[in-house]
Amino acid sequence: MRSAFATVLEPLARQRGVLGCLVAGEEDGILVDAFVRDAVDGAALAALAAALHRRARLASGAAGLGGVSFVRLDADGGHLCVLGHNELVLAVFAQSGANVGVIRSTMLRSLEALA
Amino acid sequence: MTTVAAGWVEEPLRPFVEETNVLFALLLHPSGQVLGQHGFTRAVDVMAACALAAGISASAGALGRELGGASFGELHHAGRDRQIFMADIPTRGDRYVLLAVFDRGSSLGLVQLYFRQFRERLVAAAPVTSTPAPALAADFEGELDRSLAALFGRAPRLDVGGRPPSPST
Repeated sequence: MRSAFATVLEPLARQRGVLGCLVAGEEDGILVDAFVRDAVDGAALAALAAALHRRARLASGAAGLGGVSFVRLDADGGHLCVLGHNELVLAVFAQSGANVGVIRSTMLRSLEALA
Repeated sequence: MTTVAAGWVEEPLRPFVEETNVLFALLLHPSGQVLGQHGFTRAVDVMAACALAAGISASAGALGRELGGASFGELHHAGRDRQIFMADIPTRGDRYVLLAVFDRGSSLGLVQLYFRQFRERLVAAAPVTSTPAPALAADFEGELDRSLAALFGRAPRLDVGGRPPSPST
């Protein structure tokens, strides 16, 4: 059965190099919906991605920089991109060679679909 | 500040409170005996929290068995500013209860995530042998006093069985 967030996640999951994507509550870090491989712990990723976005938002506010529009974390093995909207976060993790620009624009287009 | 009444509790409890940023954490035996705590500054608060947590654990267990045949593994209560997470941890020797209180500095997802690691570490560290204890031990008050004294630096830590060290050690 398709969830209400399938229309948000499916275009992201189809992007080249994307390993998985998910929607989680920013406040509680609880997984709402996800496209992830079996080996990936979606609940753990949801909790950590939501915490990352929340801390980034607080840090940005403390520094007087205003709201956070996009968080990108570059790791040895790839990228984690997080975007928040309406108390939800959309997180995408991708391989090193993935086109983060395309992923970012797809995520921004998905924003309005996040309730 | 994290303090423990039983030495084997420290290795699992310390990373849990560091990673989750919880305000308070309490590990107790279902009888109400405290094994470790974080965030409390007064023994009387630990005593009250242990008694209440043991009561909630017993009530939730009874309710779960009444409704579905099994006790609830985890409980979560969200307040306006603070939230409570409580979970049972069965080990090879005994069963323990973790109570954690957190605010917006943490989240339920993080607490659940690091609780899973905490549970694995605690199960690995917990003493295997267990002596079935009565619901209220004969020396309950004495045991409680010793646990609180160990937690707040007035007595040596308890050994793996929750007993004070013998005079020869």
